[in-house]
Amino acid sequence: MQVPEIVDDALDPADKAWAAVPSEKVPLVPVPIEEQPNEYIRTAWRTRPYGQTGEVDVAAVQRGERLLVRLEWDDSDEPNTEFLDGAGVFFPDAGDSGAPLTIGSHSAPVRLWAWRDRTPMQEALPAARELVASGPGAFRPAGLDAGDGENEGARPDAVSALSGGRWAVVIAGDLAPAAAAGRMGVVVWDGSNDERAGIGAVSPNWVPLTVK
Amino acid sequence: MSQDIAGAAVAGQVAMVFDLNKCMGCQTCSIACKVLWTREEGEEHQWWMTVNTQPGQGTPKDWEDMGGGRKDGSPVTGHQPTRAEFGGGWEFNYDEVFYGGKGRSVHLKPTDKGDGTTRWGMNWDEDQGAGEYPNAYYFYLPRLCNHCTHPVCASACPTGAMYKRPQDGAVLRDEDLCQGSRFCMEACPYKKIYFNEARNVAQHCIMCFPRLEEGVAPACARQCPGRLTFVGMLSDPEGPIHKLVNEWEVALPLHPEYGTTPNVFYVPPLAPYRLNEDMSIDYETPRIPPEYLESLFGPKVHSALATMQGELDRVRAGGTSEILDTLIVYNWLDLFGPFTTDPGTLDRTPDKVAVSLTAKRTEPAGG
Ligand code: SF4
Ligand code: SF4
Repeated sequence: MQVPEIVDDALDPADKAWAAVPSEKVPLVPVPIEEQPNEYIRTAWRTRPYGQTGEVDVAAVQRGERLLVRLEWDDSDEPNTEFLDGAGVFFPDAGDSGAPLTIGSHSAPVRLWAWRDRTPMQEALPAARELVASGPGAFRPAGLDAGDGENEGARPDAVSALSGGRWAVVIAGDLAPAAAAGRMGVVVWDGSNDERAGIGAVSPNWVPLTVK
Repeated sequence: MSQDIAGAAVAGQVAMVFDLNKCMGCQTCSIACKVLWTREEGEEHQWWMTVNTQPGQGTPKDWEDMGGGRKDGSPVTGHQPTRAEFGGGWEFNYDEVFYGGKGRSVHLKPTDKGDGTTRWGMNWDEDQGAGEYPNAYYFYLPRLCNHCTHPVCASACPTGAMYKRPQDGAVLRDEDLCQGSRFCMEACPYKKIYFNEARNVAQHCIMCFPRLEEGVAPACARQCPGRLTFVGMLSDPEGPIHKLVNEWEVALPLHPEYGTTPNVFYVPPLAPYRLNEDMSIDYETPRIPPEYLESLFGPKVHSALATMQGELDRVRAGGTSEILDTLIVYNWLDLFGPFTTDPGTLDRTPDKVAVSLTAKRTEPAGG
């Protein structure tokens, strides 16, 4: 996927800049049940369908030191009051050749920018967080090991809009590690089906990123 | 990443015993906890300590039918209790009544925002109990996290945020690691974990660990006016908890069949005698059906009650009983094992506070 440069910010998924950016349909599959991180989750979800968001439209641009990724997918389900919809993009370390299917592994963790819809009570929470993912749901805030608390500087931004049963979300973060990775994985959580952590839909193949 | 179901190795296990024969349902314990720990936004409905009338639906409503725990060596899929099932944390129509000019036509009432939270509460079915006059019966059951030896909550946590603290076996949550996925809420069969929507983290009883670290008993225990809440280390052979649980076997875990090996124990309730139709005393039939108590405390409840009754009979006949003397608690501080420090004597100026005041996980998650 080509990652063209833009001049003005386009964090809003409705920004007209996106009309000129080619998007790609990326197929998604359920994160495999046998890769789920513990016996409880495997037992609770073994016979329950999840990860049914079949595909997501993906486009990406670079603006200065930032990478902006726009995701758009169908979600016409009635919202659920317990879990909200979410999506994320993730990047392996340069040179790592594992598949994106498990959202990282202990030996090859990935950098995950995770967006989640918010309730009115959650207004103070950031729209997106950077996590170190070492397997489905094995997510840890980035920067936690470096010092006390989350590294605010690593925090990605996101702006989202739900309209006509379709989500459009732009997630933005540091360009350098994404450019070094040269590829990206995508994950979508359908909140109305209680999806969260490793229970979701993931791209089985990396999406190549061609950054100037 | 998950906690081994065999349970983490701990240097000691902090434990509690509640003598249900003495609990009067005053909720001082619940309030002590609420005031200390759950007063912020997102915690309105949280009661880490609850006292419910038994028999009853409890809190969250019908929690005993919500699954979780382990059976036949496998985890049991559980339901995640909703805000409405916990109930409470109500908001009231203060503006309308006090400032809206309707003080004479509208009465003060909780406002249900369509989420059902005003249809239940933490002590909704208080004193309903069961049975028919004159043989009605009920008793109170204080409940908090059991700081289980096999914490299925931690086993279900995908991030390693929940863990069993090695030094005293308290089950804690590192909130920096918690992502709000709430598998712990499903997996805990006691339904003692709450979701903080404002902060997107789960929360539960922390065994007042900052107090324990200063030698102070948990607030629920220290505030209880009934002198019935023992705190101490389970393995301390001289402590009352070890004696009540392991030696005399009169204190039992709640729902041992849930498979988590709780570290909170209960002395089951003996009840007053039943009355016959002519109002004479029926010495033979227990007022609280033994099968009901067995459904709560397992089959060992029968021998525990027999032991207690035997001790009562001996004392009534002029003898003595170490078990009853222990449960009477002549000296209040005997309740608290190594945690007898008066919090009022501690220097609380900020630079003197030596306790960690954090549940940060120090050993690596996944260990
Ligand atoms: S009572 Fe529930 S939350 Fe507490 S340790 Fe046991 S399983 Fe975990
Ligand atoms: S404070 Fe003591 S007597 Fe009162 S409800 Fe709690 S445990 Fe029972």
